[in-house]
Amino acid sequence: MDQIAVTAASGLHARMEALDLVANNLANATTGGFKLDREFYSLFTAGEDPGVDGSSGTKLPVIQKQWTDFTQGSLQPTGNPLDLALSGKGFFVVNGPSGPLYTRSGSFQLSSSGALTTSDGYPVQTADGKILQTNSQAPLDVAADGSVTQDGEDLGQLALVDFQDRSVLQKVGNSYFGVTDAKVKTIPAADVTVSQGKVENSNVAPAESAVRLVGLMRQFEMLQKAISITTDMNKKALEDVARVGGSA
Amino acid sequence: MIRALFSAASGMNAQQMNVDNIANNLANANTAGFKARRAQFQDLLYQNVIQPGASASQQSVVPTGLQLGLGTRAASDEIVFTQGDFSETDNPLDLVIQGNGFFQVQTPTGALVYTRAGQFQLNAEGNVVDANGNLLQPPITLPQNAQTVTIAPDGTVSYNLPNQTASQTAGQIQLATFINPAGLNSLGQNLYQPTNASGNAVLGPPGGQEGLGTLLQGYTEQSNVSVVDEFVNLIVAQRAYEANSKVVKAADEMYQQINNLTK
Repeated sequence: MDQIAVTAASGLHARMEALDLVANNLANATTGGFKLDREFYSLFTAGEDPGVDGSSGTKLPVIQKQWTDFTQGSLQPTGNPLDLALSGKGFFVVNGPSGPLYTRSGSFQLSSSGALTTSDGYPVQTADGKILQTNSQAPLDVAADGSVTQDGEDLGQLALVDFQDRSVLQKVGNSYFGVTDAKVKTIPAADVTVSQGKVENSNVAPAESAVRLVGLMRQFEMLQKAISITTDMNKKALEDVARVGGSA
Repeated sequence: MIRALFSAASGMNAQQMNVDNIANNLANANTAGFKARRAQFQDLLYQNVIQPGASASQQSVVPTGLQLGLGTRAASDEIVFTQGDFSETDNPLDLVIQGNGFFQVQTPTGALVYTRAGQFQLNAEGNVVDANGNLLQPPITLPQNAQTVTIAPDGTVSYNLPNQTASQTAGQIQLATFINPAGLNSLGQNLYQPTNASGNAVLGPPGGQEGLGTLLQGYTEQSNVSVVDEFVNLIVAQRAYEANSKVVKAADEMYQQINNLTK
């Protein structure tokens, strides 16, 4: 098939996936602790195909991966003492159904047994790997370093971790991140503070998303034009140039 | 493309629910004892288009995959139990809880339910009842000729009889707390019902160590809805709805262009 059409079609496909990313970002514009995704374009090179002159193989634009933008979301006061927001780099650690999960969404609750949990009921870990257990109904006091006290009694410090390379984090839905590779080790979060009575808003900026949306649509349109023009050229080539026995 | 359409639709649905919630908060901006609710959202599952660790060529593997998210959903709308403002009424049976406690009342069916709305009255038998006629529990009964009812911060109800100087004690109002008040079930009429998530009610006298709070006589607790905050939330919700509808339109136009490829 025609090389231009194939390349343009690959570009169209990539823009469609980019639109999926923008759509998900905008749908989560009010999801607490959400971090937006961006696309990462790269060239698909067919290594086995050396090309006609031996120098270049088939090159197609594809979206090979997305990267998550971990910039800080704005903090919104809620007045709920169990809403904890992080400012800076780091994650809360919770005990998921199959291993630890990491989250920036700190809208916590107390379970009926008194453990601090997420809204899905996953217990929140302390720095020494236990779960944070309250002893009475007295209000909790959370310091900026994550230490929790209740009635003057120290309940432990919330685990705040970070990663050398955050690209190992996979989104698993419900505002959690997971790590699939068991070899990845967390490091203690150095530069993070906990604010009690606040939640971190989503870091999706609607204005910037709108610009990306317009950009995507125009690129899509150009690629579509490119395919149309190639089709026209091919048609011309077939109908006019290759006319056999024409009377001219 | 279908992903983008449904992600955007999920975002529009979520914002509709957000506006529903804001509307209910605003409608109850003058409901005494009302506690605002705040909608919370979560992202949905992700579709792994390229699995991380898949082989990119014979020598290398893909270090990170391509995950496409599939939208959002409303996770919960938690009750925000911050203290509302107080307004003076001079009605001796109007009570405000300065703290985390709840009044315990009994419905005609016998169920124990809990409320922050402390506008109490007397029924024909002299029992203290809430605005809906539910009996305060444990019950407090005042004789018909009782005068100058006084309710102390610790909940002790006392009254004077005509021509008597010594005051009589009618009982002590008890307050309830829950380990997780956000897990209470709203019944309407300012009443809350305990659930497995909230835990059982723990009763105690006001002013204790458990953070139940003290009582204040002659005041009612206003709704804790902040009209300014709700309007800001309304603007955010409306704009987010608009942005999602733009994505639907963009997806539609891109689809149209694909269909136009074959003329």
